Amino acid sequence: MDQIKVLLVDDEERFLKTTAKLLQKKGFAVQTAGNGLEALDILKQESIHVTLLDVKMPIMDGLETLKIAKQRHPLVEMIMLTGHATVEAAMDGLKSGAFDYIMKPADIDELVLKIKDAHAKHLLQTQKRNELEKAKRD
Amino acid sequence: MSRNGYHKLRKYILLSMILAPAIIYVLALGIGYFYFAESLRNSTLETMKRLVKDHRQSIESFLDERRGDLSFMMDVYTFEDLKNPAQLQKALKQLQRKSGAFVDLGVFDNTGVHAGYQGPYDLTGRNYKDESWFKEVMEKGVYVSDVFRGFRNVPHFVIAIVNRTGAKSWIIRSTIDSQMFNSLVEHVSIGKTGEAYILNSRGVLQTRSRAGGDRIELSVEAAEPAFYHEGIRIFEQTGANDALYLTATTWLNERSWMLVVRQEKTDAFQALNSATIIIAVITAIGILIIILASVILSAGIVRRMEQMDLEKEKLRFQLIRASGLAELGELATGFAHEINNPLQIIKNEKSLIEMNLKEQQDAGLTEKNRTMEEVTDSLNQINLQVERCAKITQAILKFGRASNFESTNINLVEFISQITSMVEKRAGVHGISFIQELPEGLKPIVGDPAQLQQVFLNLINNAVDAVIEKHGASGGSIKLSVSQDDTGKTSVLIWDNGVGISQENLGKLFTPFFTTKPVGKGTGLGLAVCYGIVNKMGGTMDVTSTSAAGTTFTVNFPLTVG
Repeated sequence: MDQIKVLLVDDEERFLKTTAKLLQKKGFAVQTAGNGLEALDILKQESIHVTLLDVKMPIMDGLETLKIAKQRHPLVEMIMLTGHATVEAAMDGLKSGAFDYIMKPADIDELVLKIKDAHAKHLLQTQKRNELEKAKRD
Repeated sequence: MSRNGYHKLRKYILLSMILAPAIIYVLALGIGYFYFAESLRNSTLETMKRLVKDHRQSIESFLDERRGDLSFMMDVYTFEDLKNPAQLQKALKQLQRKSGAFVDLGVFDNTGVHAGYQGPYDLTGRNYKDESWFKEVMEKGVYVSDVFRGFRNVPHFVIAIVNRTGAKSWIIRSTIDSQMFNSLVEHVSIGKTGEAYILNSRGVLQTRSRAGGDRIELSVEAAEPAFYHEGIRIFEQTGANDALYLTATTWLNERSWMLVVRQEKTDAFQALNSATIIIAVITAIGILIIILASVILSAGIVRRMEQMDLEKEKLRFQLIRASGLAELGELATGFAHEINNPLQIIKNEKSLIEMNLKEQQDAGLTEKNRTMEEVTDSLNQINLQVERCAKITQAILKFGRASNFESTNINLVEFISQITSMVEKRAGVHGISFIQELPEGLKPIVGDPAQLQQVFLNLINNAVDAVIEKHGASGGSIKLSVSQDDTGKTSVLIWDNGVGISQENLGKLFTPFFTTKPVGKGTGLGLAVCYGIVNKMGGTMDVTSTSAAGTTFTVNFPLTVG
């Protein structure tokens, strides 16, 4: 299996740095972005499997970023990171296409599990799409 | 309002309550009384006038009749007839049959010669031509004398009449017994002190008066001559006995006699006086009642105001607390949210340290010695404490979130069954028996299901913990019962036979951050949050407990909808 490519989006720099290191040690390929705009840029340029997205961010809100990203890159799985999970915020996220959400502060192991699950879904979706395109061509 | 303020207010209300009705009351009574008194006074005076008039009428009638009797005699008998004593005697007897007041009868010729006499006096033969009475009768045709002490010292007066029908005039004269005349005059029914008498123009009593007895005396009251006046005069006069008399006077007998009718003023106006006293008493009683009622009412009013003010203060305080809590909730939410970010970073850093340490150890660069163990231990502590912080922030966030409230109908039986199924497993493991009393036909209550779930879960979990603490692995039981009364008030009872709550802790039970659990096991926000949620739904939470015996939590919900 290919190395899982993860994009971390959060306005806390230290969090990005440490979490990236941790994930890398666990064997993931990690990219980071400090805000939504940066994240969208990276998604455009790089091939990302799973995105870890903080809900509360300046400039562009997490939910907004999620919607736009899902529109442009539907195969990228988005996991919401939230400081307070209200049922409404969670519902909004899931309705807008998030794979799941995790509450802060989260264990690194918890994060890893969720990323792996998301990746599995990503693979499945990618496979489905390939089959569809193959069917179209034929 | 201060004590003093209430005191002043009470005085003010009292004063207004007394003055307003009292003034109107007194005014009404006063005006009514004034008109009543006026009318009564007028009617008394009118009565007196009428009385005087009637009396005068009857007295004048008497005199007229006697004059008439005498005239008639003169028509029937001639002068020559009456010169005969036998005839004169007959005439006198006839007169006396007409009226017992005729005492004697005398005949005179136009020169004043006494021509004949029948009667008790010894009078014949004299000549009266120079007497004033003779002169007057010749001039005026009629003469009525004043009362004099006559035969047997009894009061008499004289009537004389001229007959001018023949060639020569002649006169008859008769003495009238005053006693009969007196009775006529005196009989006037006018109260207890009423009397009537006659004065001549010189003020001399002609009849009896109560003050004067039956002697003819110069009446003290009328020491001055009485002056003629038309009609009836009514005035007030002080009597010999210093009493005030209501006096009416009128002239009769062709203006030579004055009839005086009088009554002691107090007697005359007795009705008015009694009425005055009664009205005064009524006024006094009325005012007393007004004052009494005002005192009682004003005290009651001010007491009620004090009560209302107190309640208002309580409510205001509650409101402040509630809004304070709401603000606190918002503050707390922001705070908790902000804390979560650094917590996340600390967690990550700790994981990284662990990872690096492991790498070092695996690479053999670090020994597994005491120091390393301590480091590992510290790292675990960091994790524990971070978790602890996380739990607190979560609880605070839930606390703040209680302001977002959903309102739906909740079917309690279903609801609670769901909750108990969640807890049953844990309870079963510790050998706790679960008793549920969920009656049929309960009306639903209105509330937020998610938050209510939180409340019940919290309470049941607490019960489970208490039971485990006391009974360990078996012997514990928890009872859940729901009841609803006719007014729709619903009560949920959660009873356990666990370790109980001490008296001093009972008081602090619903205080935020109060917990009896060991460090790290409970945040102490649970019951405070539950209390807030139930309160928001309009309900109440109560707890009773006996240390080491058991605890009962009761959650009451108010009147339901639907």
